[in-house]
Amino acid sequence: MLAWPSFQARRAQERVAAGTMVVTNCQEKIQHWKKVDNDYNALQERLSTLPDKLSYNIMVPFGPFAFMPGKLVHTNEVTVLLGDNWFAKCSAKQAVGLVEHRKEHVRKTIDDLKKVMKNFESRVEFTEDLQKMSDAAGDIVDIREEIKTDFEFKAKHRIAHKPHSKPKTSDIFEAEFANDLKSKDLLADKELWDRLEELERQEELLGEIDIDSKPDTVVANGEDVSSEEEKEDQNINVNMMHQVTDSLALSSCYNSLTNSELFNGQVNSPLNYSVNGSSSYHSNEDDDDNNDDGGDSENDHDTLGVEDNSIPTIYFSHTVEPKRVRINTGKNTTLKFSEKKEEAKRKRKNSSGSGHSPQELPMIRTPADIYRVFVDVVNGEYVPRKSILKSRSRENSVCSDTSESSAADFDDRRGVLRSISCEEATCSDASESILEEEQENHQKKLLPLSVTPEVLQLGGYLKNLSLLTVIL
Amino acid sequence: MPSRGERPEDGAGPVPAESSTLHKEELSSKIKEQKVVVDELSNLKKNRKVYRQQQNSNIFFLADRTEMLSESKRMKTWHQAKF
Repeated sequence: MLAWPSFQARRAQERVAAGTMVVTNCQEKIQHWKKVDNDYNALQERLSTLPDKLSYNIMVPFGPFAFMPGKLVHTNEVTVLLGDNWFAKCSAKQAVGLVEHRKEHVRKTIDDLKKVMKNFESRVEFTEDLQKMSDAAGDIVDIREEIKTDFEFKAKHRIAHKPHSKPKTSDIFEAEFANDLKSKDLLADKELWDRLEELERQEELLGEIDIDSKPDTVVANGEDVSSEEEKEDQNINVNMMHQVTDSLALSSCYNSLTNSELFNGQVNSPLNYSVNGSSSYHSNEDDDDNNDDGGDSENDHDTLGVEDNSIPTIYFSHTVEPKRVRINTGKNTTLKFSEKKEEAKRKRKNSSGSGHSPQELPMIRTPADIYRVFVDVVNGEYVPRKSILKSRSRENSVCSDTSESSAADFDDRRGVLRSISCEEATCSDASESILEEEQENHQKKLLPLSVTPEVLQLGGYLKNLSLLTVIL
Repeated sequence: MPSRGERPEDGAGPVPAESSTLHKEELSSKIKEQKVVVDELSNLKKNRKVYRQQQNSNIFFLADRTEMLSESKRMKTWHQAKF
């Protein structure tokens, strides 16, 4: 997997160059200030002995090149430049005190410069190491995730609606299911929830262990990885590939990744990019951009785990966090996936279909229930909206998705709904009339008229409700 | 850095500059300088005056010849030891 593209290498080179420049700059400045300090020392020495004699025989400079022998008198009277062309007349001892004070300032400056130099030196060294490694590997980084085989499931297995039904396999990784519980659809709800909680606990425990056991940290781009995962997760959340254990496959059913969860640093996706196995990964934020003076780059302890082979290795680990899902355990709150499909087909055949499912009327108490029931019309086919409804993952119960992705998709659905055409307007008179009634009654009608037959039929479902607030 | 300027005049003796550095090349050049200083000082007539330049400025203070000679010799051996 190309995890260290060439532009990173270039960036590393630039960083090295900039760092060395800073270091040499600091060195020059330090040299200069050391000289200044030296001068002050000599001056101090001279000043301390100056009042010992009344006068000194000196060579008086005449211009830059000529000298005249002369005498230095008033040996105790020293005029000190205070700056801005202000002078102070003081004794030799006082002058010594002033010099001492200035030397203190110089010493402080030198110390600061030394600190800066030291920080940049270490940064340059680190970047050079990084560069060496990436050069050696030729832009290829090995990413490994060590998977613990005793990983427990954290959520219940998916239960097939029909014991031998197969999930949709298009656009998805090849699915390797550990099928212990998959075909059982007779588990009691209570048992399931108990198990779920137990597994969640185990998961948290495991997550902590994962954090502790991986000291090798890597400067890696966590956000890219996470966003990729989310995109793919929308499509393949239903059927995930896992080589490992039942638990991870199970957790995949319930996880819909959200941005917030992803950016927690611990990745939620049970995806397993099986390139070279897997790796553990810490999204150690890139500290190199900290350019504070004096350097907070003490934090730059990022190191690549260099293996015995020349390819640098990034260790990566997924941890799965429990998805926060509010689940109603009512029985009749949703249509199951297969039933929906059948119903859709039935409706199509039935030109004057009433729109009611004779078997089950979904119990709709909240607007959210509507969406659980709702299906898309795509090319004449009824397609459940996996991103929100996730009907496949709700076998016997209704999960109202409280994660943020649902909010995001809420808007998408709104847009989709309004763009759906009425090709199959097999509206019954009853449902139409209902709709018209509602149109009359409710001024604030947000739903456009070009609505799918499903909605109209939904109106039929909702005839029990006093207020049709179909706010999409 | 302490330096002594050369002044070719009656009663005066020239003293070449000396400085201390970390690098070997500069150190060797310093040693050469010291050698010159010592030679010059030892070859001065007795009535010559030796002036010592105040660091970083253009003032020359009168200094004792014999004292200067001994000091230069010391510096030379010190530099050689560093080298």
